[in-house]
Amino acid sequence: MTHDRIWYLLGRKMANELLPEEKRELERLLQQHPDVSYAKEVLTQSWKDKQKDLSPADVEAALQRHKQRLLEVQTPEETTMPAKGSNKIFRLALRIGGVAAAVTVLFLAGRMWLGEREAQLQPALQQLVTKTGSRTHVKLPDGTSVWLNAGSKLDYPEKFHGKNREVTLEGEAFFEVLRDADHPFLVKTTACSIRVLGTSFNVRFYPVEEMATTSLVTGSVEVTIDKKVVRLQPNEKLSVPWVLTNLATTTANTAPEMPVIKMGTLTPVRDNIMAETAWKDNKLAFKKLPLDEVAQRMERWYGAEIRFKNERKKSLSFSGVFEKESLTEALQALEMSGGFHFTKDNDNIYWIE
Amino acid sequence: MINNELIRLHFRSICTAGDMTAYDELYRLLYSKLVHFSAAIVGSFHLAEEIVSDVFIIIWQKRQELAAVENPVVYIYVSTRNRSLNALQQQKRHRYTSLELLDTDALAMSPDPEHSMISVEIIQKIEMAIRSLPDRCQLIFRLVKQDGLRYKDVAELLDISPKTVDAQLAIAVKKVAAAIRLDMPLELAQAFLFH
Repeated sequence: MTHDRIWYLLGRKMANELLPEEKRELERLLQQHPDVSYAKEVLTQSWKDKQKDLSPADVEAALQRHKQRLLEVQTPEETTMPAKGSNKIFRLALRIGGVAAAVTVLFLAGRMWLGEREAQLQPALQQLVTKTGSRTHVKLPDGTSVWLNAGSKLDYPEKFHGKNREVTLEGEAFFEVLRDADHPFLVKTTACSIRVLGTSFNVRFYPVEEMATTSLVTGSVEVTIDKKVVRLQPNEKLSVPWVLTNLATTTANTAPEMPVIKMGTLTPVRDNIMAETAWKDNKLAFKKLPLDEVAQRMERWYGAEIRFKNERKKSLSFSGVFEKESLTEALQALEMSGGFHFTKDNDNIYWIE
Repeated sequence: MINNELIRLHFRSICTAGDMTAYDELYRLLYSKLVHFSAAIVGSFHLAEEIVSDVFIIIWQKRQELAAVENPVVYIYVSTRNRSLNALQQQKRHRYTSLELLDTDALAMSPDPEHSMISVEIIQKIEMAIRSLPDRCQLIFRLVKQDGLRYKDVAELLDISPKTVDAQLAIAVKKVAAAIRLDMPLELAQAFLFH
C-alpha cells in the first residue's frame, strides 16, 4: 500500500519538514486517498494538553514563582538560607510523593500504603482514570481486556512480573482475563480481592456506595474477603457490604480511614447479571434500585449533578435501561413511570421532588 | 518554527544584553512544553516546575557563557532532560533512570473539540490510539506535534537518529489516522469523496 508513504509524509508535514517535492507528492496522494485528508486536518490542527492545559494566567503565575526563586538565589542573605534548606526537605517530600502518587491516589492513599508493601516495590505503575461521564477500555500488558466505567481508577504495572498478575481497582471494571494458569490474575480493592485464572467478570466497588459487588460471566473466580474465600459460578453475583469509619478521633486528623468489613450478608445471589455488565456495551442499566442509587449512577454516567428536594423520593424503586438517551430524556422516562417530578435549574443541577 | 526562531532571538538577547524582558518571554514560550516534558520523566508536575525553574536560573546565571550555544532549543531541552533524570535518580526507589519509561499521562494531548468538527468519542479513540504506543513513540509524537521541535532536534535530545524519529512519527501518525478513519461519519466521507 502507498499508505505507509502517506503516514511518513504526514509526519513530516506535522513537523514542517516537507521538502518541496515531498509536498507535491503528498498533495497527489491525498487526492487519491480522500479519506486520509480528514486525518491530515486533525493531525495538523492545534491540540490541547490533557493533564495540565495551562492558561496564560497559569503560565504568568509560574513565571512569578520562578522570578521569586531567581531573586532569592541572586541575593544570598542569611534569611534565604533556612528557606532554601526547608525547600530541600519539601522537595524530597515531593519526590517521595511522586512515587506514592503513581501507586495510590487520594481516597485509598493511607490504607493501601500500609496494606500493600509489595505493591510499592513494583516500579512503573500505570494508572488509568475515568472521569464521571466517561468510560474507557484498555488492554493490559498480558493481553487481558479491561473496560473501566465512569469515575473509576485502575492501577496496573507496566509489565507483570512475579507469581500473580495484580491490579488495583477503585470503582467499576469489567475484566476479560487471558488464561494463564501459572500466573493467576488478582484484582484488589479495599474491600476484597478476586483471584482468577481465565474468565470474564465485573467488579464494582465505589467507596461511596458502601457495597462491593463481583459478578461472574464465564469461568470461575475466587473472592477473598477478610481471609474468607467464596467461589462464584457463572451468572452469580456476590455483594459485600463495606462500611467506612473514620478512626481519626484521638490522634492526628490525618489518620487513614480504615475499612470495616461486615460479614453479615455474604451470600452469592443467583440473578440475571445483565444489569451488572451492560455498561460495558454503553448501556446504563439498573434493576429495582432505589432512586437515590439510580441518581448516583446517573450522575456518574452523565457527569451531572442530581439532588433531592424531597428526601422521601429517595427510596422509590426503579428499573431501566438507557443507551442513547440524554440525562433529561432518561429522567423523563422514569418520571413517566411515576412517583416523582424533576426540574433543572440554571446551574444545570437536576432537582427531584 | 516561528516559535523556534523566537526562542533563538530571545536567548541571544539574554546572553548578549542581559535582557530581562526577553528572559520572561522565553519562560512564557517554553514553560508549558518543558514542564510536560519533565513531568513525563519525573512523574510529578510540582517537581517538574521546580526543575524547569532551576534550568532557567542557570540560564540567567551563566548567560554570558551561553552565548556560545549554537542551538538554544536543544540546549534548554537537554538541560531539562538531564535535571529530570538526576532528580529521578535521587529517588533511590526508582530503578529506571532512562527515557524508556515515562509517565505518559503527562504526555497526553488530543484535538481540541472546540476548534474542530471531531466528536468527543473520536477524540477518545485518538487518545487511546496514542496511549497504545510505546512510551518513547508517544514522547516523539508530542515533541513534534506540541512542542514544534525539528526532527534533528528531537534526534539530538533523545540520542537517536533522525531516521528513527521519522519512522516513529510515521507509526504514531498511522495509529491516529486509523483511529480517525474507523469513525469517520459517512456523510463526511462522502463530502471528501465528492469534494
